[in-house]
Amino acid sequence: MRIGLVCPYRWDVPGGVQYHVRDLAETLRGMGHHVEVLTPAEREESVSDPFLTFAGRTVPVPYNGSMASLQFGPVSAARVRRWLREGRFDVVHVHEPATPSVSLLVCMIATGPIVATFHAATTRSKWLAAVGPMTRPWLEKISGRIAVSDFARRVQVEHLGGDAVILPNGVHVPFFAEGPGLPGFGRGTGGPPTIGFLGRYDEPRKGLPVLLQAMRGVLRRHPGVRLLVAGRGDADELWRLVGEELRPHVTLLGEVSEADKAAFLRSVDVYCAPNLLGESFGVILIEAMAAGAPIVASDLDAFSRVLDGGDAGVLVRRNDAAALGRALDELLADPGRRAELAARGSAAAAQYDWQVLARRILAVYETVLPAGGGVVTAGTDDDFPAVPPTGTAARPPHIRRPRR
Amino acid sequence: MTPEAWSLLATGVLLVLLGWAIWTLTRLRRLAARVDRAWAVLDAQLQRRAGLAEELARNHPAALGPELAARLAVGAAQARASRTDGDRELAENALGHDLHQLPADLPGVPAALRTDLAGTQTRVALARRFYNDAVRDTRELRGRRFPRWTGLHRTHRLPRYFDIDDRLGAVIRDADPAGHRGG
Repeated sequence: MRIGLVCPYRWDVPGGVQYHVRDLAETLRGMGHHVEVLTPAEREESVSDPFLTFAGRTVPVPYNGSMASLQFGPVSAARVRRWLREGRFDVVHVHEPATPSVSLLVCMIATGPIVATFHAATTRSKWLAAVGPMTRPWLEKISGRIAVSDFARRVQVEHLGGDAVILPNGVHVPFFAEGPGLPGFGRGTGGPPTIGFLGRYDEPRKGLPVLLQAMRGVLRRHPGVRLLVAGRGDADELWRLVGEELRPHVTLLGEVSEADKAAFLRSVDVYCAPNLLGESFGVILIEAMAAGAPIVASDLDAFSRVLDGGDAGVLVRRNDAAALGRALDELLADPGRRAELAARGSAAAAQYDWQVLARRILAVYETVLPAGGGVVTAGTDDDFPAVPPTGTAARPPHIRRPRR
Repeated sequence: MTPEAWSLLATGVLLVLLGWAIWTLTRLRRLAARVDRAWAVLDAQLQRRAGLAEELARNHPAALGPELAARLAVGAAQARASRTDGDRELAENALGHDLHQLPADLPGVPAALRTDLAGTQTRVALARRFYNDAVRDTRELRGRRFPRWTGLHRTHRLPRYFDIDDRLGAVIRDADPAGHRGG
């Protein structure tokens, strides 16, 4: 099958959507499909792989807690049109098309089967509420909608007035499951017990202060315990938070590469996700489960769902240092329980493997393809109005909910 | 204002209305085509499901037990018949429930047939969602004031939702733990 993927965010900037598109493209190519990716980038040179097509530069605007890439204009439109004509795709798969980005441009220009994946999970987005109805005429062209989580689907239902199939983010399970650990650390090597944390450690919502508070209790029962902190942030701020008592027990790894992240997850005895709020999905938990790390996580909806409601990991009340400390204590003292959680975690992670998910996404492609087959092309030039017509914009959408 | 200015203004308003009507008509046409496409896929998958159920009942009655095999054969025949007349949702629902009751391992049934059946059930669920999505978008636009007052696509039948219970395969259940909530 000839598949065209569209990533609306700059390829050379790290981000969840970019990784999703990259991994999906790799997996589908591995299954023998022809995959091309259209994406903007900061610098044209960084779009070097032959299957990538540079869609132009973008104007970043704040959206959903990060930067969306605003991209419009005749040059971008011409690039999109050329990509569609030359690609002759059976299906085009756009990501996050509700923002005025190259994804929306593709929706405007393409004629043929379009599949879209929605990633954003903010339930209240003024930006979406304002722009959503305006983009509606082109989002109507999408034949199959996918949401990466229940939250993303809710955004879709509430703001954009459509339904979506839920297909979660994927993880390359073997990449995390097999390989060496970090030098000097290692699960089951008889060394001191290790707890892992990954995330922006100076952001309170990631919950590191709660974990540090809990660590002070854990230290009493397990005097040799070590905490590995990986991620970006202000190191001085971290050490101030850690304090004198814990300082010898904390190791700061800083920002880690993908390979180091996998090694880090394979090395820890327990992975802890003490987040206080706002995680929409929790890819990191799946990665940790794939790496065989038992998990202690706060009871956010997203985490609870990933951990099968507590079957595949320990859930504790969020922002409760005492409960978190107890859970860590018990788990560190009980190797049998750790092994059991690791086994269940591996099984839970397996269903998020890209091999599995790519097959489900292929089923979506097959479902939107017309019976005789067909090709996505660029519509005629006059089919693409230069200015989005207003008029629908001012009114909220009349969403006729289906009878259930 | 002079009569010229009035007529100019009137022409301008007419042009805007005309442009708007053409744009709405484009959208309606596009949606109608999408509904047709989605229905063709859903119809094909439902027929495929009925065909597989027939094959299962005819060739592997031992794996199902005589009672279930008989019910499956009747269900598949009714689902087929309902394509031209009768309540299709009802017939497909009945067939779906019968298929739901199949034993998990199905001894003696070739793996290819089992995979095919599971795949078809997943695709029925996907196709039905995409079809209903297309219907929802169409009804939304058709229900707006402008298309109603101008009578655009008035002669076209308003597409109907297709509601059956397709929460079947583990694939859909796993992927969508809350699929029947929030919509």
